[in-house]
Amino acid sequence: MIYPYIAGLIALIGIILTIIRFREGRTSPRMLLFWIIIWIMVILISFFPQETTIFANIVGIGRGLDFILILGLIGCYYLIFKIYTMMERLESNITQLVREIAIKNEKIESLIEEIEISSSKKE
Amino acid sequence: MGNSNIIAGDRKVVQSTRKHTGHPSKVSQKTFIVVPAYDEEKTVGRVLNHLIKRGYQVVVVDDGSSDNTYSIISKTRKDYPKQIFVCQHLINQGLGAALKTGMDCALNHGAEYMVTFDADCQHDPEDIKTMLIPFKKNQADVVLGVRNFDHMPLFKKMGNQIMNTLTFIFYREKVSDSQSGLRALNKKSARLLRLDYRGYGVSSEIIREIKNHKLKMVEVPIKTIYTDYSLSKGTNTSIGLEILFKMILDVFKRF
Repeated sequence: MIYPYIAGLIALIGIILTIIRFREGRTSPRMLLFWIIIWIMVILISFFPQETTIFANIVGIGRGLDFILILGLIGCYYLIFKIYTMMERLESNITQLVREIAIKNEKIESLIEEIEISSSKKE
Repeated sequence: MGNSNIIAGDRKVVQSTRKHTGHPSKVSQKTFIVVPAYDEEKTVGRVLNHLIKRGYQVVVVDDGSSDNTYSIISKTRKDYPKQIFVCQHLINQGLGAALKTGMDCALNHGAEYMVTFDADCQHDPEDIKTMLIPFKKNQADVVLGVRNFDHMPLFKKMGNQIMNTLTFIFYREKVSDSQSGLRALNKKSARLLRLDYRGYGVSSEIIREIKNHKLKMVEVPIKTIYTDYSLSKGTNTSIGLEILFKMILDVFKRF
């Protein structure tokens, strides 16, 4: 059986990449922990797929693999939701920035104009 | 001036005979016209000139246009530096964001009243005076311009009626024209409105905010000038669906 090794290799690469990102300061400690746990679970499940049946039986789902698939699907939906809210927040942050810049620039322009007018009056 | 109040539904409608004098009254001196403009190079210059001629102070918001809108606005500003204030969104953000920027800018310059005015030449500048009458009489915090639906092409009319119904279902406020671009606000209401929608949904959102803050609202009939150009702009079906989706999300946000 070759598939546990392939999954294990992918998970290992995943862990290494997460650690690199953490060391570069691009991932928070919480996300580092989260992803390491996920990848370790992937390794464990691919090497001991039978053991998942124990958890599946506890929840009331017949086969271990079904349990994992359902869990994965729910996880994916959760991630999509997270990304959606994150994008919403980013978009509204950008809007706020763009608006602030527009208002500040207008203020500066008006001020410059006032100064120009008052200095030309003095002359 | 021959003004008369008539009651239409449960809302007051003010009608007036209009006369263009060219000299703005005290109310209009503190009145700022907020013009959001996105890719309106064909019409924005004309709209600005009409407003300036009538002595109004104008805040134009160029919402990240990709055409010559900004340079046309800048050119007009050079001719009338005291009357035009220009805000430029570096990236296109939508009608809601542009209106909010314009309103903030008008407040910064000491506006007592502000009128939102579309840049696509669909409004009659003469209507502004009518919109301001309820303020003079202390009857309103917000004045909504109501377009005559009978003069509207069928597809626009249906779309607007659907939007009115949706606004009523989601925000429990009955208005004759929820999507009208011509509206007037006093300083108090402009400060109170919390607008989050970036796009066209802002029109319905304003209605929600009027209700939430219990602001006094008056509806005034306005003229709408339909050209092929102004018809191609504004809300269409896909934008309508987008607004519906946002309204549904809004319901969830309340819990």
